[in-house]
Amino acid sequence: MKKLFALLLCLVLMIPVLAMAETEITLWTYPIGSWSQSEVVDEVIANFNAVYPDIKVNVQYLDYQSGDDQVTTAIEAGTTPDIIFEGPERLVANWGAAGKMLDVSDLWTEETSADIAVAGPTLKDTCTGADGNIYLYPLCMTAHCMTINYEYFKAADALQFINEETRTWTTEGFVEACKKLAEAGYLPGIVYCGGQGGDQGTRALVYNLYNAQFANAEHTEYTIGSEAGVKGLTLLQDMVNEGILTADPAIVAADEIALFCNGTVAMGFCWNASAAASNKATLADGVTVFPMTFPSEDGVPVLDGGVWGFGLFNNGNDEKVAAAKKFIQFVCDDPVQGPKSAFATGYFPTKGSFGDIYTGTDKAENGEYGMFTPYLGDIYQVTPGWATQRTEWWNLLQRIFAGGDVATEVGVYSTNVNAK
Amino acid sequence: MFLKGAFLFMARTSLSRANQRRENIAGYLFMLPSLLFFAGFVIFPMGMGLFTSFFNYTMTDFSFVGLANYKELIADPIFQKALWNTIVIVVVSVPVTCIFSLWVATVIYKMHDAYTSLFRCIFYLPVVTGSVAVTVVWKWMFSPYTGILNYVFKNLGIISKNINWLGSPEYALGCIILILLTTSVGQPIVLYVSALSNVDNSLIEAAEVDGATNLQVFWKIKWPQIMPTTLYILVITTINSFQCFALIQLLTSGGPNNSTQTIMYYIYYNAFKLSRYGYGSAMGVILALIIAAFSAMQFKLAKSDNG
Repeated sequence: MKKLFALLLCLVLMIPVLAMAETEITLWTYPIGSWSQSEVVDEVIANFNAVYPDIKVNVQYLDYQSGDDQVTTAIEAGTTPDIIFEGPERLVANWGAAGKMLDVSDLWTEETSADIAVAGPTLKDTCTGADGNIYLYPLCMTAHCMTINYEYFKAADALQFINEETRTWTTEGFVEACKKLAEAGYLPGIVYCGGQGGDQGTRALVYNLYNAQFANAEHTEYTIGSEAGVKGLTLLQDMVNEGILTADPAIVAADEIALFCNGTVAMGFCWNASAAASNKATLADGVTVFPMTFPSEDGVPVLDGGVWGFGLFNNGNDEKVAAAKKFIQFVCDDPVQGPKSAFATGYFPTKGSFGDIYTGTDKAENGEYGMFTPYLGDIYQVTPGWATQRTEWWNLLQRIFAGGDVATEVGVYSTNVNAK
Repeated sequence: MFLKGAFLFMARTSLSRANQRRENIAGYLFMLPSLLFFAGFVIFPMGMGLFTSFFNYTMTDFSFVGLANYKELIADPIFQKALWNTIVIVVVSVPVTCIFSLWVATVIYKMHDAYTSLFRCIFYLPVVTGSVAVTVVWKWMFSPYTGILNYVFKNLGIISKNINWLGSPEYALGCIILILLTTSVGQPIVLYVSALSNVDNSLIEAAEVDGATNLQVFWKIKWPQIMPTTLYILVITTINSFQCFALIQLLTSGGPNNSTQTIMYYIYYNAFKLSRYGYGSAMGVILALIIAAFSAMQFKLAKSDNG
C-alpha cells in the first residue's frame, strides 16, 4: 500500500514537469557584429523566452577561422544545429545546394516579402537556391567598402584623386594616389592573399578596376576571367612590380585591417560599418578612417553585398523545426525585437519598415555607411561552386603576384571554379 | 605413492593455471578502457579512412570509385609538391632536432641540478605553450612591416631591405622548419638528459683510466647506452614532422604558391575546404604508409647500428 502511494505521489509530482516540457533548439551563430557576444545573444533569447517560455535555445558561437570546419564535421556526424546564422554564400550556395538545409519559404509571407523587397528588391533571389527552395531568412545587409587614412592622403597630396562627397574615385586616380603615397614614404596598400578571410575586399578591388563582372547575371558561371578582369589583375601585378602597391601572401584581411589601424598602411581593402565600430578603439594617432568605394574606370563603383540571416538544418524533427521558425520570426519580424536584432549586427535591417535604426544611438556612425547602399551590386556569392571559388581566389592572387602570367593563371582559375 | 604425487602435481598445475587465467582476465579488464579508447579513436578511424579512400565521398555523394582517388593524387601536382615539402621538413628537422637536443643535453646534464632544471624548463617552454600563441609571436617577428627580425638583420647589415619571410617562396618553408625546431627540441632534450644521467659512470671512469678520449667515451660508452632513447626520439620526431599541420594552418595556409604545402595540410584542405573526404582519406593512407616505412627504416638502421 505504501509503495502504491509513493508511486502515485511521484506521478502527481511529475505532472507540472510534464506540462512544462520544453522544446530544446540549438543556434549556431557566426560573429556577425555583436552576435558574437554572449550578453547580446542572451538578451535576445531572454526576450524570446518572455514570449515563448516553453522553447529553450542553446547557443554556440562560431568564428570564421574554424566555423566552417565545425559545421562540416557536424554535417557528416549528423549533429548539426537547428538554426544557423550566416550568409547566403554558405546557407544557400554551399549547405543548401548540398541538400542539408530546409526550405523556409513559409517564412516569406506576402507581407514580409514586400517589406524585405523595400530594402533589397533582389534579396529573395539571393536567398533562393538553384532548386527553387529558399534557404535563408534575412535579418541584415551591408555594402562592403574600403577605407583610406585621410591624414596620410592629405600629407601625400593624394586627396585630389578622390571625390570626398560621393566617396568615389577612378582607376587612374587610384594609381596616381598610390604613386603619391609611395613617394611620400607611406605604404599605400596591401593586396592580402594569405587565405580566404575578407576576400570580398580583393574581389571588389579587382572587378571594379575595369568594370568586370565577377559572375554572370544568371549566377551560373564565374566570369572574372573576362578581358576586363584580366586587365584589372594585370594592373595590380604591374603596380606591385612598380612598388606602389604591396602583395602579401602571408596575411589575410584581419591582419591588413590591423596594419591599417596601427598606421602602417594608408588604405584597407576590407571595411564596413561593423569593422569601423569594432576597430575604433585600436586606431593609432594619425589614423583617420575615411571609408571609400573601390576605384573604377568610370568612377561608378559596384560594391560587394553582405546579407546575413537564419537558415534551418534538416534534422528531421518537426517539433524542433516549428520552434526554430518561431525563434527566427521573433528575432527578424517582431516589431520591437527585429530592429534590436539588426542593430546588434551593426548592419542595416533587411526590412524597410524598420527604417533608420542608428540615428540618435551610440552607433550613429554605422548609419553613415548607408551612403554606400546605392552602390550595392549583384550578390553573386550564390553561384554554384562558391566554396571552391573562395579557395581558388587567393591561390590565383598568390600565383599572379609570384610572377605568373595573368591570362594563364586566370584560365586555370576559371577552369577549376566553373568545373561542374 | 606415485599416484598421490601425480594427483598433487595435477591439482597444483590446474590451480596455477586457474590463477594465471584469473590474473590474465584481471589484466585484460584493467586494459579494457584503454583498449576501447584505442579501438574507438584509432583503429576504427583508421579502418574508416582506408574504407572511404575507395569512395568518391563528398557532402552529396558516396559512390565506390576503386583506386581512382589514388590515381588522381599520384598525378596531382599539388600533392607532389606537398609530398616533397613534407619530406624536406622531415629530412631537415629530424636530424637537426636529434643532434641539437643531444648536444644541449650533453652540455647541461653535468651541470648543477638547478641549472639543468632551468635549461630543461627553457627548452620545454615552447612545447607546453599553445601552438596559437607560439605562431602569433613568430608571425610578429617575421612581419615584413613591423617584425623584429628584419629590424635586427637590417641594423646588422645582413639585409638591405625588409624581407617578407613567410610571404616569399624562398624563405617560407625554412621559417616553418625553424619554428618547428623550437617546438620540437624540448622533449628530446629532457629525454636525453635523463638517458645520459643513467649511463653507468664506472664504465666511463674505466674508459678514461684506459686513456679513452672524450669522443671515444661518448661514441663507445654513452652512445650505445642512449640508443633506445635515440630510437624513440627519431621515431617520435619523424612522426611529428610528417604531421606538421598547425603551424602551416596558422601561418601560411600552405602558401605562398604552395611552397609550404604539406600532406597533412593538403588532407585538411581537401576534406574540410573542398569537402572531398574520400580524396583526403586516400592521402591519409599514403601518409600513414610513408610514416610506417620511415619508422621501420629507422628501427632497422638503429638495430644494425646497435648490433
